[in-house]
Amino acid sequence: MNTVVADITYRAMLGRKRIWLLVLLPVALVALAALLRLVNGQDEQTAVLLMKSFAIGTMLPLLGLIAGTGVIAPEIEDGTIIHLLAKPISRPVIAVTKFVVAASLVAVLAAVSTYASAYLLVGSESGVATGFTLGALFGGVAYAAVFLLLGVLTRHAVAVGVIYALVWEGVVGGYVPGARKFSIQQWAQSLADQVSSSPFFSTEVTLGFAVPAMVIVTIGAVVWTGQRLRSLSLTGDD
Amino acid sequence: MTTEPTAVIHDIGYRHYDGVRLGRGRATLALGVQSLRGVFGLGRTARAKIMPLLLAAIMLMPTVVSIGVMALAKQFIMPYPNYAVFMQPVIAVFLAAQSPYLVAPDLRFRVLPLYLSRPLTVTDYVLAKLSALAVALFGLLAVPLTIQFVGELLVDLPGPPHTADYLGALGGAVLHAVLLSSVGIALASFTPRRGLGVAVVIAFYMFTAAVSGIFTGVLISSGRDDLAGWALLLNPFFLVDYAQSAMFGTAPVNTESAPPGIASCLILLAVIAVAVTGVLLRYRKAAS
Repeated sequence: MNTVVADITYRAMLGRKRIWLLVLLPVALVALAALLRLVNGQDEQTAVLLMKSFAIGTMLPLLGLIAGTGVIAPEIEDGTIIHLLAKPISRPVIAVTKFVVAASLVAVLAAVSTYASAYLLVGSESGVATGFTLGALFGGVAYAAVFLLLGVLTRHAVAVGVIYALVWEGVVGGYVPGARKFSIQQWAQSLADQVSSSPFFSTEVTLGFAVPAMVIVTIGAVVWTGQRLRSLSLTGDD
Repeated sequence: MTTEPTAVIHDIGYRHYDGVRLGRGRATLALGVQSLRGVFGLGRTARAKIMPLLLAAIMLMPTVVSIGVMALAKQFIMPYPNYAVFMQPVIAVFLAAQSPYLVAPDLRFRVLPLYLSRPLTVTDYVLAKLSALAVALFGLLAVPLTIQFVGELLVDLPGPPHTADYLGALGGAVLHAVLLSSVGIALASFTPRRGLGVAVVIAFYMFTAAVSGIFTGVLISSGRDDLAGWALLLNPFFLVDYAQSAMFGTAPVNTESAPPGIASCLILLAVIAVAVTGVLLRYRKAAS
């Protein structure tokens, strides 16, 4: 963790167009919750549906994608990463710093908006709000780590990330039950299920699998990013 | 000292171009063809070919399965008009991955003035880019449909072939191509960064799909089925599906009480018009 690198990365993330996309999605979630509240009143089933398919299913992977790849991919694309790598800072430290920036952004934005929208819809009934906030928090951290790794592995990080989030978690996970075990969304949902007692919500992945998987994936991705940065090649394509 | 000139211009034999100048139309066509090739990675590095060709291969998979089932089990399993809706995540990923390629590098390296120093105008440039993406998307949809139709004719199932459905689906493919390409280019041209462009386009799709799904679910569960069809229109693929069924008489995927056909056609037109106007305004600004 290097505070100067963290500072520069925060400024790069918050000062560009990227921030609009990062803020727009959580704002949209809260606005949707408010609209549903107006249309339908307080309703636990609606809240669970909104949390499952929008907060965890759509907003979380997108935030992870934008923040996780955004902290490092543009620098690699521009070639300015060479100035950072030329400094006497160990590469794993750079990787950890970038991860902390991305994870903190995703965690704060996702958790705050998830709690606010769930609270709008059901109040604090049957732990829906706290459960999904917890899920969004840890799920966001895991997404940030995985997409950070993708950002240093390939130039098409965003496209590959989209395929993972949309095709693997969305389509394959919808038809093939086994694929759901290897999906960050499902891990986040099983965390949420642990806290909430809502009858409208159940998950298939057990907590005993989800928590170790999340920890291993997060730490593994950050360590791999550090290793990968030690021998990063800057040859461009197109 | 002599008064002879110290500097002389030598004629070293540079020659002018005195062939035929082909003008605006040909310039637009050349840009369009080059962009279309680039969408599929032709003329680019091997790494740039992986993504589009992989996605095109995935698009063919249902066709292969469906021809296999027709040949072995003599059953018709995949109706043509539902193909685009069924494959919507793949099409969305293709759109998101490829539309920034068409516009982002030119904006990022500020080469637009170079294009515009030729007979090409801003409108021509936008038209070339839009039609390149539209043709690519149409091909992505039409090739699997056509292969399946040829397969159906060859297998010769009992009963008449689904010719009307096939033609309707091709018409729908045109609608999909025009709508998605204009929206994709409009969103991607707002940022000169390719990665961010991909994220913006996919965020648009995931956002509209999720919102339309949630509202449809909530409206149906609260018994307001008449409004559920309107909520479905938020998803661009269902919007085209309804417009396709209104224009070509195919059966829509969703059987919830559909909004009147004319409405979905008008909304489709309005979205396309807004997107194209947005792109034109964006490039007027970028070019000046």
